Amino acid sequence: MPIAGGRWKGYIAVAAVLANGVVSSGIAIRALAGRVFEERFNAGPILGELSIGVDALSGWFILLTNFTLLTGIVYGIRYLRPYEGNHARLGSHYCCYILNHVAMLGIFSIRHMLGFLCAWEIMTLSAFLMVIFDHGKMEVVKAGVSFFIQAHLSFIFLTVAFIWVRAHTGSYDLAAVSSYLSGAHPALGFLLFLLFFAGFGIKAGFVPFHTWLPYAHPAAPAHISGIMSGVLIKLGIFGILRIILLARGGYLLIGYTILVVSIVSGVYGVILAIVQHNLKRLLAYHSIENIGIIGIGIGLGCIGLGLKNTWLAFAGFGGALLHTLNHALFKSLLFYAAGTVYQGTHTMDIERLGGLVKRLPHTAVLFLVGSLAICGLPPFNGFISEFLIYSGLFHGMAANLETSTILLLAAVAGLALIGGLAMLCFTKAFGIIFLGSERHPLPEPLKEDIPRLFPGYLTVALIVAIGLLPTFFLRLAAPAIDLFTSGPGGRMPAGGEQASGAVIPFMVTLQTISTCTVSLLLVALTVFLIKKKLATRPGVRSSTWGCGYVAPSARLQYTANSFVRPLRKLIRPLLMMNKSEGVIEGIFPPGPIRSDTHPYDKLEAVLIDRPLRMLRRFLGGFRFLQNGSIPAYVLYGVVFIVLILVAPILADAVTYLFGLFKQV
Amino acid sequence: MTNILLIIFVISLVHMGLSKRLNTYTSVLAFQGILLFGVAFIELIQINVPNLLFVLLETIGFKTIAIPYFLNYLIRRNKITRESDPFLPDFISVVIVTSIIICSFLLSNAIRDTHIQKILFVAALSALFTGLYFIISRKKIITHVMGFLVIENGVFVLSLAVGAEMPLLVNIGILLDIFASVFLLGVFVNKIGDVLQEQDVDQLRNLKD
Amino acid sequence: MGILNYLLIAGASLVFPGIIIRTKSLLSGRKGPGIFQPLRDVWRLLRKGAVYSETTSFIFQIAPTVYFASVLMAIAMIPFGSRGGLISFPGDFVFFAYVLALGKFFMIIAALDTGSSFEGMGASREALYSLLAEPAFFILMGSFALLTGHTSFREIFGSLHFGSSISYAIGVLAAFVITLTALIENSRMPIDDPKTHLELTMVHEVMILDNSGFDLGLILQTGHLKFAMYGGLIANFFLTPGSELRYSIGIFLVIQGLFAVTIGVIESFMARFRMNHNPQYIFTLTSMSLLIFLGVLLLLGKIV
Repeated sequence: MPIAGGRWKGYIAVAAVLANGVVSSGIAIRALAGRVFEERFNAGPILGELSIGVDALSGWFILLTNFTLLTGIVYGIRYLRPYEGNHARLGSHYCCYILNHVAMLGIFSIRHMLGFLCAWEIMTLSAFLMVIFDHGKMEVVKAGVSFFIQAHLSFIFLTVAFIWVRAHTGSYDLAAVSSYLSGAHPALGFLLFLLFFAGFGIKAGFVPFHTWLPYAHPAAPAHISGIMSGVLIKLGIFGILRIILLARGGYLLIGYTILVVSIVSGVYGVILAIVQHNLKRLLAYHSIENIGIIGIGIGLGCIGLGLKNTWLAFAGFGGALLHTLNHALFKSLLFYAAGTVYQGTHTMDIERLGGLVKRLPHTAVLFLVGSLAICGLPPFNGFISEFLIYSGLFHGMAANLETSTILLLAAVAGLALIGGLAMLCFTKAFGIIFLGSERHPLPEPLKEDIPRLFPGYLTVALIVAIGLLPTFFLRLAAPAIDLFTSGPGGRMPAGGEQASGAVIPFMVTLQTISTCTVSLLLVALTVFLIKKKLATRPGVRSSTWGCGYVAPSARLQYTANSFVRPLRKLIRPLLMMNKSEGVIEGIFPPGPIRSDTHPYDKLEAVLIDRPLRMLRRFLGGFRFLQNGSIPAYVLYGVVFIVLILVAPILADAVTYLFGLFKQV
Repeated sequence: MTNILLIIFVISLVHMGLSKRLNTYTSVLAFQGILLFGVAFIELIQINVPNLLFVLLETIGFKTIAIPYFLNYLIRRNKITRESDPFLPDFISVVIVTSIIICSFLLSNAIRDTHIQKILFVAALSALFTGLYFIISRKKIITHVMGFLVIENGVFVLSLAVGAEMPLLVNIGILLDIFASVFLLGVFVNKIGDVLQEQDVDQLRNLKD
Repeated sequence: MGILNYLLIAGASLVFPGIIIRTKSLLSGRKGPGIFQPLRDVWRLLRKGAVYSETTSFIFQIAPTVYFASVLMAIAMIPFGSRGGLISFPGDFVFFAYVLALGKFFMIIAALDTGSSFEGMGASREALYSLLAEPAFFILMGSFALLTGHTSFREIFGSLHFGSSISYAIGVLAAFVITLTALIENSRMPIDDPKTHLELTMVHEVMILDNSGFDLGLILQTGHLKFAMYGGLIANFFLTPGSELRYSIGIFLVIQGLFAVTIGVIESFMARFRMNHNPQYIFTLTSMSLLIFLGVLLLLGKIV
């Protein structure tokens, strides 16, 4: 690394990631095709026997990780071009990137508890170093530190859970979890599951564990935000899915819990996303919402497992796995476009942008495709996964099963609300940034950077492919889903619906949907061609109709704040808006008066800030101990030694006295 | 048929949560009186003429005609403004009333008594809690009485729910409550209205010692 | 069979707006324009040239096309009693709702494309109202799925039959909810006044202020098609399954006509709600759908 120049470092990094990716993808594709990869080797006296396995579930995640990381690094080397002079920083950044990749592959495949935790820690460290790439700015460092601390909180939860299992079963292998759960009391098993859920949930970003997400994503460089949202969060989802695979019962309760938490996450995430005006923070809150959607799918699948209904399980887990892939694709695409916008205009504030579609047409198209996909609109991929989840929910209601129909209905209403709110948010984001006219003059002339678009268009191709040919991708994911529905050990009794009975109707439905979407595109194209033929006169260009107002200016346009104001007024109790206004004095105030509104996350204020303040106050009471004078510190040492020497003597004396009192 | 009437009853509760004018409240109360008469008429098994007359008097006579008229008289006489000032914005009111309906449904499912008809129970509980919500969330004193009247409607439906016959005592009890509240309010508003100019609940706090 | 339904709805859309305008005129004491006048307006617009604003981009030029195509696609899914629409599969109402949402997305960003504050106003309101009306539709469909045990439009309407009084109540309430949804989606009274000329109070008309020529013709015709589409959806409540074709077509046309006349009557006699109040009224639809759902639960005797 130190030997190569700046640009060459980038190319070496791409080559390394590509090599890693090809090797692991090969194994993954074979795993998805049915041939599971398993290896055991002796890893020394501490770890014992380390087993590595790639089954269909790991395979699916490995494939999406590799694709996203590849597009990330290809975009990243162009994005980091302004920093080319700084060799050390670049070198360490690329090293951390490759390390992160390897660590993630390790997390997906290592079946040994301590090995898993090692890989987790390596992933956290490398991600932290990548996030604080721009460490000259204070808020970047603060955001990185908050991410670091919360990642370690998740580490603590996982460690406690693993220690619990090890203490009861004596083995380090992940399969021990399943043997423990099959023998333990259901309440204890559920508690263990909650520990795992907390640990993985912090990583995934479920509410109320989400507070690190909106800080870490804006602070990191664009390609890192993209892979964080696309892949890092999915590690939490992978963990939860792995624990569900290892569980042996109590699915209904697990399903209900995950469903409720996910509905809350989804709606809360998107509501907070709407009022943000920092583009990357908006996208970060949307990641929380999409994790909520994935969680709804997982919850539905668990309920299906609990009721032994293959259809529900297939729809739920299928939708969740597909949405994992879809979200990785369109979220990374959106972050790349946001990065290009930031580097061109040097601001992330939506309110200062506008009319960029004329300067950055390709980036606008990428952002448009990403927005349409994230709202779940046909003909793109978001619709397919949401449709699967809807199918499962409605089937659950129609089949009149013995489950809480009101909860399923709440999930349906929640998904519908999430879709509508996401549409509001992304029309705002796309419209205010790219459309209209510039709200503030841009600092420098703006040009499109062509090599940067290559990973973006690759992702677009995949998005459109999933949208138009969903059956192919569902068939690809089917082995992973089958792990859940027809697990080992006869989880589905012989009387339950066969797996093939559930898959085939889905394939037929999805085939119909792809025909419909293709015909939709054809109809649109036909109408457009008719229009071109009928409009014989060329279109005249003129200015926008301003109702007779003769001095139009760019500042008359609708701003992002005004666009969401009706909704913000409605949900006022949920938000905390900090408003600062200048005071207007007199009839003709002298200069411009500012009024700023900043949204703040209420949950964060309650869960993080208040305990932090109390902790600080409590610890501040001990501040007198840190007075900086050396004699005092030596005195502390002496006091400690005296206490150690005296303590056993004191303990003996106290027991002797108690014995005396007992005899009295 | 009762089901349709009770569904319309619950919708009228939502409508009451939604509107801002005092006139709407009184007209919804009158409408609820008519609905309750319909429900009582169909539900009562033994209709002997005195009982029927009593029910007719209570529902149509009082709930629909007399009390809304009296309330309108009070509003006009004390020149209370048309708007009802809530503490919470209107949108939240509708959301809360909807969640009250859902919660009363879930509550009624927890009761496993076969003598009760579920939908009557749901309507009764919804009206009860909605009335309580009105009392909590509105500023004007006269809306307190309206909330109380909604609670009375709920109790009426509840008495239908627990038995097809209506014991006379329950009826008299309800009537007494209505009388007491409305007359007290009348006295209150007339006498104290001369002292306190605004009809605001906050002013009542000054009365404590 | 599905193509017959498609043609019926398309045919109704040619006449529908004329009936509304004629009703309103007659109720105001005037004679009013002919029934085919809106059709002639659209035809004239389709042949006119267009003026595009300099602030706009390619989005503005493709948005009306996408809107029109999405509504055309959505009509293909409306059933006709027990004979399905052109397209029918389990869960098709989800596709229906999302295809309409695609059209709305493009209209909203086309409005923001012009860089005018009026259109931004309309866009923000349109986004909010459509988002508030969506859960109502889904909850309604969920309750029907629960009631009939099927999840596609054709099967739901095919097996919906009204026996007890509570199912009649549910049917009437559901038709009411869908009617109100139609009024909201098409920006009619009492949410929005199509005849107002104050941009501060418009919702839908102000979004299309800058469109002209072929695009404007497409947008107007799409509005008419949406009306006829919702009319077709409502007509399904009244089509008993298994009846003969001419009776079904007759009932369908009568219901469409009645729907148009009702809208004309509502528009003539009701004032528009306060703009700040609209979200509450739209949310009431969700409450009513919830009531329908609870009613279905009671009907099935299901506990929770």
